Amino acid sequence: MARHTTTENADASGCASKLMYNVTDFRMKEIEPMKRRVKTPTLLAAALFAALLAATAFSAAVVTTRAVERNGKPAAEVLVGNASVVELVTSVGIYSPMQRAELVASRLQAALKTNPKPADVRVAAVRGGRALYLGSTALVTAGNREALAQKSTPRALATSWRKRLVQAMETQQAVTATAVGSQPASAPAEPTASAQPADAPAPRAPGEIDWTGTSQKWVPIISLEQAGLSIGAAQVAGPTEQVKKVKAVAQLRLDFKEMARIYAYIPASSINVTKLDRVQGVSVWATGDIQLINF
Amino acid sequence: MNNSTKRISLLLIAVILCLSLTGAAVWALDLGNLLKVGGVAFLVTQFGGQIDKFITSALGERGAAAAGATKVVPILSLGAGGYIGAAQVVGSPESVKQVKAVFQVEGKIGSFRPRIFIPAAVSKASTAPERAKGVGVSAVIEFKI
Repeated sequence: MARHTTTENADASGCASKLMYNVTDFRMKEIEPMKRRVKTPTLLAAALFAALLAATAFSAAVVTTRAVERNGKPAAEVLVGNASVVELVTSVGIYSPMQRAELVASRLQAALKTNPKPADVRVAAVRGGRALYLGSTALVTAGNREALAQKSTPRALATSWRKRLVQAMETQQAVTATAVGSQPASAPAEPTASAQPADAPAPRAPGEIDWTGTSQKWVPIISLEQAGLSIGAAQVAGPTEQVKKVKAVAQLRLDFKEMARIYAYIPASSINVTKLDRVQGVSVWATGDIQLINF
Repeated sequence: MNNSTKRISLLLIAVILCLSLTGAAVWALDLGNLLKVGGVAFLVTQFGGQIDKFITSALGERGAAAAGATKVVPILSLGAGGYIGAAQVVGSPESVKQVKAVFQVEGKIGSFRPRIFIPAAVSKASTAPERAKGVGVSAVIEFKI
């Protein structure tokens, strides 16, 4: 900001210098709070965004995906650290091998956050093949098509995935143990075939959602936020079969004063939204709510 | 930057400039605000994949992650104050691919808070952005402008 001289309004040089001082002093008093008002929100926003990116980088460090080529066709791998644990070469429905790998990676990433042991990795017979489980999470199914494409059988393929995942988890454990100066855990017992539940629930296959018909409807929305509890209505849309299952939408909301806000919409198959049983493929188009309870 | 991203960016800039020039905006937009909007939109476009994984894993811990086709795009909220940030969209894989940004129109009538999401898509056949069909919002992270 340029300083304007006020000498033309003063009749003596002494008065002029005094006036200049007063004008400068006034402007500084005016500008400083303005700078603070502009800087504080910008800095807070930048700090929040940096924290978000740092968390993202950390969470994405363990499980990753990689596009590869097998016999001239696109394929994808799921990696734990640097070790490839699952390789997918076939598409299922509308999902390419890479999209399937990303789904598997996100399930695996979520399952690994519960600190499972390598012994929790198992193979179970499911409809259409063998599924690889980590704890109660179905990661991926080795179906007939996938097995044929990899010149294997569903059972052999799923078992090879299990071995590779167990090995990768043990390696990760050893690295962690070395980092904290303790001994790595002893090798877990291999799960036996008899331990595999034959009637285990079929994992949700990526291609199960049928997008040929879509619909929309209004359902209740229950919003839980710092300020209180709100209730209203939400318009949800998606595949007809999936939309039919939606009974309510749960909204989770976090406000960081007036600076930032985070909210998530979870279309649930039950009015009891505390269970958060998400209906996949359904999204929210519009909402309207009124605050009922103030915390 | 491909043509569709350029078109969306130009549209965003045009909307912001029109609002600031006509005085229709509820709040005053200055150069700092425009830089903030552009900067956040750029960051979201660049790191969309990682933000998508972060949202999915955060919701996955509660068994509420969206499976299938998801994507993170910039979101611009108008109506009850201005916000800019990232939105995770969910829907049919073909439509999700075409979504480039989300506009949110929200209001406040007493204690009633209406909110509408408008995912904007650019298809290969069309030159102008249009509302993406079969796509909605799953999660939002946004900052006040």
